[in-house]
Amino acid sequence: MSRCTAVLCALLLAARATYAHEIGTTRVVISFPAPGAYVVEITADASAMLARLEAAAGQRRSGQMSADEYQRHIEALESEFLARAHVAFDGVASRPEFQYVQEPVAASPDAAVTPPGAIVRLRGAVPANARSIAWQYDLTVASYALTIKSATAGPDRTVWLEGGRSSEALTLTEYAHAPSRLEIAATYFVLGFTHILPKGLDHILFVLGIFLFSRRVKPMLWQVSAFTVAHSITLGLTLYGLVSLSPTIVEPLIALSIVYVAVENIVTAELKPWRVALVFAFGLLHGMGFAGVLRELGLPRSEFLTGLVTFNAGVEAGQLTIIAIASLAVFHWTTNRARYRRLIVVPGSLLIALTGLYWTVERLQVW
Amino acid sequence: MKPASRVISTRLTALAAGILAIAAVAPLGAHDFWISPSAFRPKVGGLVGIRLLVGQEMIGDPVPRDPAAIKRFILVNGPGEKPVPGRDDSDPAGIIRADAPGLLVVGYQSLPRPIELMPDKFGQYLGEEGLDEIKVLLAGRGARSGAAREVFSRCAKTLLLSGEPSEKDQDRALGLTFEIVAEQNPYLSAAGRELSFALSYEGKPRAGALVIAINQRDPSTKLSARSDAQGRVAFRFPTGGAWLVKAVHMIPARPGSNADWESFWASLTFDLADAHVATLSR
Repeated sequence: MSRCTAVLCALLLAARATYAHEIGTTRVVISFPAPGAYVVEITADASAMLARLEAAAGQRRSGQMSADEYQRHIEALESEFLARAHVAFDGVASRPEFQYVQEPVAASPDAAVTPPGAIVRLRGAVPANARSIAWQYDLTVASYALTIKSATAGPDRTVWLEGGRSSEALTLTEYAHAPSRLEIAATYFVLGFTHILPKGLDHILFVLGIFLFSRRVKPMLWQVSAFTVAHSITLGLTLYGLVSLSPTIVEPLIALSIVYVAVENIVTAELKPWRVALVFAFGLLHGMGFAGVLRELGLPRSEFLTGLVTFNAGVEAGQLTIIAIASLAVFHWTTNRARYRRLIVVPGSLLIALTGLYWTVERLQVW
Repeated sequence: MKPASRVISTRLTALAAGILAIAAVAPLGAHDFWISPSAFRPKVGGLVGIRLLVGQEMIGDPVPRDPAAIKRFILVNGPGEKPVPGRDDSDPAGIIRADAPGLLVVGYQSLPRPIELMPDKFGQYLGEEGLDEIKVLLAGRGARSGAAREVFSRCAKTLLLSGEPSEKDQDRALGLTFEIVAEQNPYLSAAGRELSFALSYEGKPRAGALVIAINQRDPSTKLSARSDAQGRVAFRFPTGGAWLVKAVHMIPARPGSNADWESFWASLTFDLADAHVATLSR
């Protein structure tokens, strides 16, 4: 028996001795994936979750249904869920974002009679200088385990709770160290950088498309500046909730922007004002994409500006690194303009355009 | 106040000692425990997941199989009795196969589990479950400031039908400490018709127990009645669907049990055909 299993068994035995009600299948895990951000993951039976939400909403009870239908029904009752899952820091309620995921079904002969499981993730921001966190879940009456995953060197902690009862205020410093502003800045700079390099292949291709347009510094500076200013604007505006565009529109358009810059590279090498204007417009779209990433990470409200500025700076650093690497890679060919265009710009842009086209079609189908 | 349904007893009116009237049940503080099969009417040869649920208003949280909590977990199909298999710590707690056509009776009894309830909660729950005798005993013991120490056992049953229903198939006493036995096969009945049940504690009729029936489709439709001197009670179920019939029996705890009170939670679940379905099938 592994140590982990032994510890779990000991906890179960302790819980059996201590707690009144039967232990159900609900499990709750609180973690701190980044400084100032928290995630609460609730794993539970989908039918019980839906039945309680329907009862709370005064709706007629649904019968047994498929995992997809449970997901659709529970997502429609998100506000009822959020009213019954309470996260509080220092006694002040937090308002997390809701995400539903179907629990993976283990391959077993019993799969046909194993009821669908639900995973709900609540993501939010830890307020600056918060000292404690408390949790309460009203959508079960059975006893369940609440585990707090430590983001520090300390051990994880599991406490047993009765459904509908609040945990005690758990001292936050034991699990998530309060980061300094410099640490937050460094964290978000790295997140911004890695979002471009190596994670953001679509952004990499867009920047390469800009790079391949001209060997001269001035056109590149114009384009890079237009792109930077534009994505900074929409990143900020989207995060402040002032603009909003669905990923179903943004993501295919980002792919299409890659096609455009690459095709134009093949057609012309002369910088026209509309090229700068279009790169600016595409920058606005890419900024909304960056905002989606930052929102998933849960930017702390108290360090909003620090996170925003340093994430953006990380994105810029990532882009400049791509240009620097690309410049070094093609330096040998740049001396002969015609050869550079024939061997590098045209085939490279063609590849980028085809990839962008593939993504456009793929994203239109997926979304 | 929640809508209530009229409970009418005809054949057993004279026998019923308790209330056979409009029942209005207060919101429950205590938690019911029942068996919910993945299908009440499985195909012959089909697998059935046997879930154990704890909850209220027939909304239950699954309880995974806990070998340390099981006193009995059995399936009776025909003459024999066999244990219900399952994987430890898994939901559903048991998995059975409907090997042959007929009525399948599944029973579960847990080992006693301790609980401590504050006096106000304990008093509220005695009221909800109609445990008037215990209220009297409690009053006789005088006021106590501490929590009531109780050990409770779950005594749950479910009835499943595989294939066509038959007159020879009947529910039977499985020997659970506190048990509800359906006196007629519910799968030969339908909504609107009367069904009677016998309650027994340690094999003897349990008189005066408050029996509550809850419908899964509409849990606000509750029926309630007290068992008569022979431990019998009858309901005319107004609608079809899954029904939970339940009752609680409590006694002063036996010496050495390290508790004040000992309770037994009996439940029986089954599926009842809608009235028009039954009419069509005749």
